[in-house]
Parts: sequence; C-alpha cells; structure tokens
Amino acid sequence: MKNIAVFGYNRLSFEAISRLDKELYQITVIDHDPVKAALARENGFETANIDFRSDDDLKLIGIGAHIDTLFCFFDTDSENVFLTLSARALDKALNIVAIVDSPESAEKLIAAGANKIIDPYEICGRKIHDMLKRPDINDIFDHTVFGRHDLHLAEVTIPENSYLENAHVTQLHLSSQYNLILIGIVNKQVSEQMHFVAEEFDRRLSVGDILVILGPSREIRAFKKDVENEFCKI
Amino acid sequence: MLAKLIVYCAYYLKSADWYRRAKLFFYDLLENSHSRKKKYFDATMICLLILSVIFLIYDIEHEDSKMGGYFELAILMVFIVEYLIRGWIYSDTYKVIIEEYEKALYLNLDFKLLGVFRKAFVRDIEYITSPFAIIDILAILPSYRPLAILRIFIIFRLFKLFRYSNSAKLFADALASKRFELMTLLIFTCFLVFIASVSIYMFEYQAPDSGIHNLFDAFYWTIVTLATVGFGDITPQTTGGRWVTIFLILASLGVLSFFTSILIAAFSEKMLSVRESRTYAELDRYDNFIIICGFGRVGQEIARHLHNDRQKFLVIDRVSARIDLAKKRGYLAIESDASNNEVLINAGICRGASAILCITGDDVINVYVTLTSRHLNKNLRIISRANRHDNVNKLYQAGADNVIRPFEIAGLLAAEFVGQPVAFEAISGILHNQTETVMESVLVSEKSPLDNQKIGQLDLQQRKLTLLGVISDNPIHLKHKNKYQVNQQHFYFNPEVDFILRHGDMLVLLGRKYGIDHFRDQVEQRRLFSRQPK
Repeated sequence: MKNIAVFGYNRLSFEAISRLDKELYQITVIDHDPVKAALARENGFETANIDFRSDDDLKLIGIGAHIDTLFCFFDTDSENVFLTLSARALDKALNIVAIVDSPESAEKLIAAGANKIIDPYEICGRKIHDMLKRPDINDIFDHTVFGRHDLHLAEVTIPENSYLENAHVTQLHLSSQYNLILIGIVNKQVSEQMHFVAEEFDRRLSVGDILVILGPSREIRAFKKDVENEFCKI
Repeated sequence: MLAKLIVYCAYYLKSADWYRRAKLFFYDLLENSHSRKKKYFDATMICLLILSVIFLIYDIEHEDSKMGGYFELAILMVFIVEYLIRGWIYSDTYKVIIEEYEKALYLNLDFKLLGVFRKAFVRDIEYITSPFAIIDILAILPSYRPLAILRIFIIFRLFKLFRYSNSAKLFADALASKRFELMTLLIFTCFLVFIASVSIYMFEYQAPDSGIHNLFDAFYWTIVTLATVGFGDITPQTTGGRWVTIFLILASLGVLSFFTSILIAAFSEKMLSVRESRTYAELDRYDNFIIICGFGRVGQEIARHLHNDRQKFLVIDRVSARIDLAKKRGYLAIESDASNNEVLINAGICRGASAILCITGDDVINVYVTLTSRHLNKNLRIISRANRHDNVNKLYQAGADNVIRPFEIAGLLAAEFVGQPVAFEAISGILHNQTETVMESVLVSEKSPLDNQKIGQLDLQQRKLTLLGVISDNPIHLKHKNKYQVNQQHFYFNPEVDFILRHGDMLVLLGRKYGIDHFRDQVEQRRLFSRQPK
C-alpha cells in the first residue's frame, strides 16, 4: 500500500486521484480552502486540516515518514514551489509531482526538488497538435495511455524465482501466448532507462528487470500471475 | 413580334453555358477580389496607367511623336473595353426581361417592352453615375481629339488607380470617415478666407505700392498667408492691412493644427482595420490553414508547434496584449471576437480553413464558437476544449469533432506517473517526440507489395520495428478478434501472423524514426518498380 498526499483539491487532482486504485493507494487530500476540503470529503476522500507552511504540520501527516508520493496541485506556482521545497527538506526520497501554471516556474520547481513537472496547458497543446498532424496515432494513444478502451500499458517486474529468470527475450512469445505486445525492458542493473525491445538484440532477463507491456487488462493480469509462478512452462 | 424575339433571346442567354462562363470569367477578372486573375489584371492596368501618363509628359515636349499616338490609342481601346464590360457585368438585363415577362404572364397582363427597357435603363444609369464609372469616363474622354482642351484631364487617369489598389481606397476611406469634421473645418476656413480677402482688399486697394489690384489678388494673398507659405510678393502696406495679417496668421495656425489632428486621428483609427484587412489579404493566398480561437497558454503551445511545422494558421483573440504577443512571434493574428459570424467568415472559415480550434479558457465561448463554426461550415474539423467535465457533451452537441479536457489529461498523466513511472516516461517520450523512437503509421496503398501479404511475412523484427496493430475500415478484417472501434474504423491490436493486409489498411509501428522511414521508402520503391514493366 502506497501513501499519497495531495495538496490542492481541484479538477486536476480530482482526475488524478480518481484514476488511482483505491486498494493500492492510501490518499490524503489537503486544501487550505475549507469549502474545497469539504467537497473532497463529500466525494469520499480522506482529508487533513493542516497548514502547508508549517513543517510540523507536514510531519504530522507523515511527510518524512510513511508518505511515498506528494502531489503539489495548488493553483499558484509559488505555493507549489514552497511546498516542494519544504517537503524535499523533510524527505530526500519522496516522489514529488507538481503542476505548473506558467512555464518559467518549471525550472524553479525542479530546483526546489520536484521529480516530475506536469504542465497541463503544454500537454493539451501538444495533444491538439497531434490531433491535427497525426490523428491515427493520437487515437491509438487515446485508447492506450488515456484508457478509453481496454488497452493498457503495464509494468511487470520479474520477481525472484520466476520462470522468466534467465529466459531470453525472444523466447517470451508474448504476442501469441498472451495477446500482449512487449514494448520495452528496463535493465535495473544498468540504468533506469527503458530500452525498446525492437532495437534490443536478444538478451537474458534477470531478476528485477521491468517489462513494459501493452494489452487488454485480462491478459495483463494473467501474465502477471504467471510471472510470479515458479513452475510455469515457457 | 419583336418582344417575342427579345424574350426568346433572354431565355437563350439564361440557358447558355458559354454566356454564363464568359460572365463569370470577366467577373473574376474585374470584380472578384478573391480571384487571382483580378490581381494580375489590376497590376497590368496600373502599369498601363503610369505609362500613359509618362507618354503624356513626353508629348508635352515632343509634339509630333508617333509612338505616343499609337500607344495612346491602344490604351484608350483597353479603357473603353473595360468600361463596357464593367457595364455589362454590372447588371443582368436578360434576367430583368425574363422577370418582367413571367410577371406579365402570371398576372395575365400584356408584356410591355417599354417598361423593361426603362428598368434596364435605370440600372445602366446607376452604373454610369457610380463614382468609379465617372472616374473611368474621365480617363477616356480627354483622348477624344475635338475635346483636346480636356487633355489636362488625362492626369485624372491616375484616379483610376483607386480602382486597382486597396491602399489608395483605404486612404480615401480614412478621409471619408472624418467627413463631418472636415466639413466643419472647410466652412470655417471659407469664412476666414472670405473675411480676410475682403478686409485686405478694403485696406490695401487704394494704398500706394500695394500689390493688391483686384479681389483675386486679395484671395491669392489670403491663401498664401493662411497656408503659412508667405511668398512675400504681396505685403501689406497699411496699418489696417498689417492687423488683418496678424489675425489671419493666428487663425491659420489654429486651422492647420486642427486639420493635421483630424488627419492623424482618421489614420490611427483606420490603422487597426488596415492591419486586419492585410491579415485577411494574406490569408487569401493560403489554402488549408487552421484558425486558433484563444491565444492563452494552450493556444501559444499549439501555435509554436504549428509554426515549427510551417503550417499556416490564424490567431483570433479578444485581448490585445495576447495579439501583440502573437504578432511579435510573427504569427498572423486578429484582435476580434471569434463568436462573431463576420469575423469567422472574413477569417476564411468557408474558404481556406481546414480546422478551427476553440480553446479559450471559457467554456461558454468555446461552445458558442463551436456552434457558430459548425453552422457556417459543415465539413470543417472542429477541436474544442472543455474546462469542465459537464460541458463535454454540450461541445459534441454543438458540433465539435474532438473535445479535449486539459485538466483531465494532466491528472491522468499524473496518476500514470505514480503507478507506472517507466512506462509513463517511455510513452510520454514517444508522445512528445522526445526520444528517437517514434510511433508512426504506414499506409498500405493500392498495388503496394504489402497488399495481400500476411503479417508474418513482413519480417518486421529484422527491421527492428514493433507492430502494435492495424487500423482499417475494411469489413473483411472484422472476423479477427482484438478489434477496437476507433471513429469509423477499427484498430486491430496485435494481429495474428496470418492476418492478411488489404490496401487502405494502416500499420501502426513503433521504432526508430529512420527505421520506419526506410521501411516506408522501400515499400514505395518496390511499388513503383513493380509497375514499370506494364
């Protein structure tokens, strides 16, 4: 179970947290506007009433302790920068995702220690540009990443004692056995970077490698289950 | 009998294809401001006009030059023909005849030729007395030898330039918009001139050594002084005359500054529409451009991408600061309200525009602009932005082809990032074209070597490409599983090795950009090569 603290309750944070699986994530919503906080409670999210400017309050909800991910989704950039800075000081390993309103704030947020910057306007602009320039590809993205149909990207980590350990990539036959397409592999021992499988020569998988696959959720579930099974036949 | 013949002719002209086409051709040539022919025609006419004036000046010094005479004749012919054709396309006489004839038939009245001619004549008079036609006639008449005295009016031909040049027209419009102020000033100036002329005449007429011998001298002196030119050829000799001079000079300063301020105000007011019409004129030259309504953060981002692609587009926004920004970046931009029909029509929504993006931060405006655009053009691609979830359906109802929700997409990406950071980074890299690996489609065209081939034969692995699926609207594929409805087509995810490709299908490939390009080039080359022997 992962713990996520969401600062700022608005359309964007609502969309983000409703996409997350309630069983896998423990979500706490914080907003200094009591009306918005009440709205979050009404929508069934757990809320906390704290002042984000105070380090003690941040510690109180678990930053520096059990919180793994922080969403800085306030409407103003200055508040997000402040929160990012405070949280980074409390926890070096915290995963901080922040949104930006004006593009020049992105650098400030990175400097303050954010892991991922999301610029809604930029994303929207790119997406509309894609709709105009390559509508087919855009549609496919809509169906996969944006999940309009049952096609999903998933990451599968190879656990210890899996039947895939030491198997060759070409031996996988994911497309015929599971109706899945293998997009890429992350070799944890080398780097965090994903290698696209098409340009990768045949190599052996080891424990900890991450397979990035695309396919219907039923097949993904089946594959994940089999991966953990020691005795599954290739 | 004559009436019958005329009516018959009118009906013949109505049905005659060549007549209609000829009329359309001349309309395009002379009047249709969107036509390319008119631009060439106007340029030619401007050259002819300037040449004719040059010959006029040449003729003053060389009276018996022959070349000038022939050229003059040629130009005259062109002008006369132009004048007549303009008269011809100004009205459709045969339509008047048919209308009158059918009316008479319906009401069981006698068909009277006289009434028809009167109506046609009224139309002709209308044309003849229109300002441009008068200028045209003024350009023709001076060439008529018996009216040689009018030769000086050849210079009036230059007024014809107004016909062919938009900027000259704008100049005239600017002055016309200040008609009231200019009129007031003119009346005041007339009074001033009258009073000053008469006064100076009274004081100076009898003075010895005075240059003023009649009322015209007084008038001439007044104008020279009023314009602050003051040649000094006539100077007041009496004290009374000098007082008149002092008052006239003071008053003329006021008149001149008033006149200048009117002109400046007129031009600065006109400047906005001048710029706008220049923008529209530039758009006229393009086909297939995109209209962006709203130049906020999203609009700026799209504009940047489109600019990089060298795709033409027009920005419309109500906020002048944003329009200034767009212009500073070298984009075509208009400060206007896109919910106005006229603005969209001027922007070319029914002519050259291929898509319109309604992406302001206000859903009410987006819905309204979407509705307006769909109403004006049924085939236009409309992409709209919904800032609130509840408005998505309204936008689709209003006629949008695609609706985009910026906050939802961003929220979704945030969630994706938390759940699957690796996949997210990879896919967002592809999505943003940041990595070398891209996702692209390859079309299976007719007679392509891919046509009728099985997926298994494509050898994609050797080419280091990953096939994600096939997009097709061919019903022959429907038996395959893993199909997802995408608009009017189906996306066949992960097709089996015995999936047979048909022309019109699209392969969705993942791989390096040059790998996909190479594959596409090879397919194309083989297609061309295989056709050569035939």
